[in-house]
Amino acid sequence: MTNPAITKQEINFRLKSASEYGQASFAGIVSLALALVFLLNSYSAAEGAFRPTVLAFSIGYFVFAGLQLAVWALIRSNLIRKGEITTATRSLGYVLLLSLLTANIFIAAVAFQLIKRKKTAAYTLAVYTLMTTILVFAVSALNLFKPYVSDTFLIGMVLLLLSAAVQFIALLLVAKFANGTLLPSWMWLVALLLIVTAVSGNLFALFLGLLLIGKLRDKGYTTGSKLNDIVDRLSRSSTSMLGLLFILFLLTVSVTSYLTFDYGMAIDNNYSAIFQPPSLEYPLGTDNFGRDLFSRIVFGARISLVVGLLSTLIPVLIGGALGAISGYYGRQTDNIIMRALDILYSIPGILLAIAIIAAFGASTTNLIIALSVGAIPTYARTMRANVMLVSTLEYVQAARAFGSGDMKILFKHIVPNSLAPMIVKSTLTIGTAVISTSSLSFLGLGVEPHIPEWGNILKLGSAYLETHSYTAIYPGLAIIGLVLSFNFLGDGLRDALDPKLD
Amino acid sequence: MKNKGKFAAILLSLTIMISGCSLTTKKDVSESPQPTEGTKVVDSNPVDIEVLGMSANEADLNIIRDQLGKNGFNVKLNIQADYSSYKAQQDAGNFDVSLSSWTTVTGNPDYAVRSLFKTGGDYSILSDSEIDALIDQAASQTPEEFAATYKDFEQKLVFDKAYIVPLYSSLKAQALNKDVLNPASVRLSKSRSLPWEELDFNDVSKRNKDALVLQSTMPTLTSLDPIKGNDGSINIINTNQYVRLVNLTDDDHITSVGSLSRNHAIAEGNSDYYFILRDDINFAQIKDKLAVDTGERVGADDVIFSLDRAKNKNSVPDHRTFTLHEHIKSAEVVTDLAALDAVKVSGGDSTVKAALEKGLDSKISELVSDKTQANNASGKYQVVKLTTTTPFPQVLNYLAHQSAGIVSKKQVEKINTYDVAKFDPNKDIPYGDQNTVTEGSAYNNTLYTSGPYILSYKNDYDAIFYKNPAYMKGTEHEPKINNIKIRFIKDADSSLSALRSGEIHLYYGVSETKFDIVKGDAKLSLQTLPSNAVSYLLFNTKNRPVAESADLRKAVLYSLNQDDFITYYGGNKFKATSTLSPMVNTGLELKADAAKAKEFLNAYKASK
Repeated sequence: MTNPAITKQEINFRLKSASEYGQASFAGIVSLALALVFLLNSYSAAEGAFRPTVLAFSIGYFVFAGLQLAVWALIRSNLIRKGEITTATRSLGYVLLLSLLTANIFIAAVAFQLIKRKKTAAYTLAVYTLMTTILVFAVSALNLFKPYVSDTFLIGMVLLLLSAAVQFIALLLVAKFANGTLLPSWMWLVALLLIVTAVSGNLFALFLGLLLIGKLRDKGYTTGSKLNDIVDRLSRSSTSMLGLLFILFLLTVSVTSYLTFDYGMAIDNNYSAIFQPPSLEYPLGTDNFGRDLFSRIVFGARISLVVGLLSTLIPVLIGGALGAISGYYGRQTDNIIMRALDILYSIPGILLAIAIIAAFGASTTNLIIALSVGAIPTYARTMRANVMLVSTLEYVQAARAFGSGDMKILFKHIVPNSLAPMIVKSTLTIGTAVISTSSLSFLGLGVEPHIPEWGNILKLGSAYLETHSYTAIYPGLAIIGLVLSFNFLGDGLRDALDPKLD
Repeated sequence: MKNKGKFAAILLSLTIMISGCSLTTKKDVSESPQPTEGTKVVDSNPVDIEVLGMSANEADLNIIRDQLGKNGFNVKLNIQADYSSYKAQQDAGNFDVSLSSWTTVTGNPDYAVRSLFKTGGDYSILSDSEIDALIDQAASQTPEEFAATYKDFEQKLVFDKAYIVPLYSSLKAQALNKDVLNPASVRLSKSRSLPWEELDFNDVSKRNKDALVLQSTMPTLTSLDPIKGNDGSINIINTNQYVRLVNLTDDDHITSVGSLSRNHAIAEGNSDYYFILRDDINFAQIKDKLAVDTGERVGADDVIFSLDRAKNKNSVPDHRTFTLHEHIKSAEVVTDLAALDAVKVSGGDSTVKAALEKGLDSKISELVSDKTQANNASGKYQVVKLTTTTPFPQVLNYLAHQSAGIVSKKQVEKINTYDVAKFDPNKDIPYGDQNTVTEGSAYNNTLYTSGPYILSYKNDYDAIFYKNPAYMKGTEHEPKINNIKIRFIKDADSSLSALRSGEIHLYYGVSETKFDIVKGDAKLSLQTLPSNAVSYLLFNTKNRPVAESADLRKAVLYSLNQDDFITYYGGNKFKATSTLSPMVNTGLELKADAAKAKEFLNAYKASK
């Protein structure tokens, strides 16, 4: 069956055009690296022995990394020899799915992609929806090892299970029907149920629900909705999907933690459990006051996300509005607004934030305001440039010829078409906002010291970097993870939303 | 589809079954509130309380917040970044309780209570005549007698009136680089500051070549005039710049060793104190940034001058230490040798003269009033007699404090020519002003120091000291290292890093949480000793509910658990009942009691 005449370029083209190939190598290498990290961690030099749980994890990761790399080799030979991935190779994806048991989302995400030959946006969303819920369920289930759980734990877990069930059914249905242009009308029910499960913070479910509804309403008249396009493009980059997965995982955990986590574990001191190393009861160990680091990081996600999102949303709204007005009206209006913003722009952002907090005191609200104010000018500039570009387009002139008012033209025709760069920019800067929040807390200028905010946790941990390093490493990893995720998502969104690709 | 539903249902029921069996919820573990007998049911709303503290004590504040929160309070933390903003908040009365700490640097119990709790004391916001009476009564008693008085005092202060909540007493800890410094030469004393003259390198050939590097947090020195400051920025510095009449031993006993006096004696009646002076200390001064001998001896006239200005509130503007010396009535030079023979020592049969002569190489043949005439080898001595206003044996502890350091009468009178009442800080430059030793245009070092070292100059990063070339030359107290440098490092973690990297050689004040790191470093050695430092919560006495209601104060008192603090600090703190605890064992102990706390809190709510 080998074709000796096939050229090197052809081979390269075949490998590049199959997204499964690149994804498989990515997942394999990441898993291998993680397995090594776990292996190094499992050996405790003090006792001269391996810790069984971590070692088991490491072995699990090694096994699946090996499998994944084997599948990668198979895909490669399939592509070179046959130009496509065979059904047998694809069915290996089911085996790889088992890696979810070791919480290896990298391999699992790739496996879902491998199983399905023709991937639709709905299928991808359904996969990520289910994975998010399962991860959240697994993380929340770790609370079972605690001496006690919160009063609403059972309700929360049952609700999570129910949504997982709904999402699993939706996945199967989507896999079966979404290829066709026409969806059966009872899919309305599935879509609505999915949207209900999105209350947990799992926005994948919301997107999926909206996508399905869009399809149902469209009745096959058009080729697909804009959301469909974006998800399609975004899902081509596995890093940005993983980024989005981590963000939405944190969001879901933050929301469900109201039911499944006990806030007391995170803020009440427990003097009999000071500096417990990571164990099942305390998955990430305890800090110098005997508080569970795991619970603290979970509750910290809430603050980091809220502060990060709000301190990006506020300047997007204010800066966007100012930039739009400035760009549309031009002349004096433009001059006055932009020069005023230039003055604001000339003040270093973090110094401004420190000054605001020093003047008004340290609290979450002040923190958000402090971080927002400094970011307004950059958004205004971005928006202004877009508006100036869009307002010269024909359809705007057409609207003007029809006698539409300025406000209507600006906010109905121009702003919606200038939003894409703003979305990309804001996604990329949420990461900065998260870092700024943590930096200010680290300096003692953020929220109160006992509140589990990531910067606060890191600050406490940094004092014990040598003796109990895990108190600093885990919050640090959480911050890195969230910021990286936003950056990856931003990159993916830029590609997906780029008007030049339209 | 049917199968999936079934699967989900099975999974669901399985999970509920498994978890339902063994799951304990928070409600199960939290104790049901015990109704206390005799108290009527009152509202269960938490009581607001504002706790003031410094960010350096964030850990303590967190424990306090946690413990009060668990006992029915709603805690609002007011955390200030540094001492001055903390003090400003405290002076403005913006607190219900303030986290305070006190170190009895003189090592005597009177100091631990007088300025803190007596009406009108330096740091006191209390005004309670019973407390005042007990403080005065104990002051006039000997150690055997005052234990009982101080027990009554503690009972009143802590348990009956609940003016303070004691938290813990601390260790004094310092870490040193044992590769560089000789650990045996580094003393750690309960109260006394580190004597620099004893410090030595392992390699004695380095004494003249290398600088010994110490550390301090505060580059702004309050004043180099010993009576004008009593705080962390200058206590160690002034202790080593000015010699005193007596010293404290490492365990807080009075000694003449290493002091200006060769011997001292307490006369019958505990009101007269005699000191026989050395003749081998000259004042040092700085010329061209190097220390030189002024040729002027430290003598009785300087002692009398120094003690007079120490007790006199109006001798200098901003006198910070006169309350320590308010028991001094007068100091005079004794020239009549027969007078020494006429008085007996307190609690003994020997005469004062015999007591002063004890251990001297040559007996007293003559007492001189002119310090230049003194020659100890030939038996010519100077003796100073100090009289207290009331019998007060603890006066010796105050004389060992840095504020009783001996300054040069000639030099201080030469510099301090201003009129104290009309002192203008913009124009007049007092003796010891830190600007005169800070590098820059205002540099004009006029210090005359009687101690083992003298400050040459300083900037924001370090201060350079040289040894006094004429300080007890040829004795074991002669300073060994020629040059000492203090590095100003504000942050504790940075200081520890500096020690570990060899940038500094000795770090005083290692935090308990860093002990493990120091012990784990092969070139470092850790010295610890229980100190006279006590942390406590002070209640506001004005315009706050805690000022009016003893019940509310007692609710706070019994809410706080000292054991938790000790656990948090890894057993490196000790229980305390008041600021007296490190010095006087009264046998009283504060035990946390949640039931009592609840009872008092309910009583407070009922009385509202």
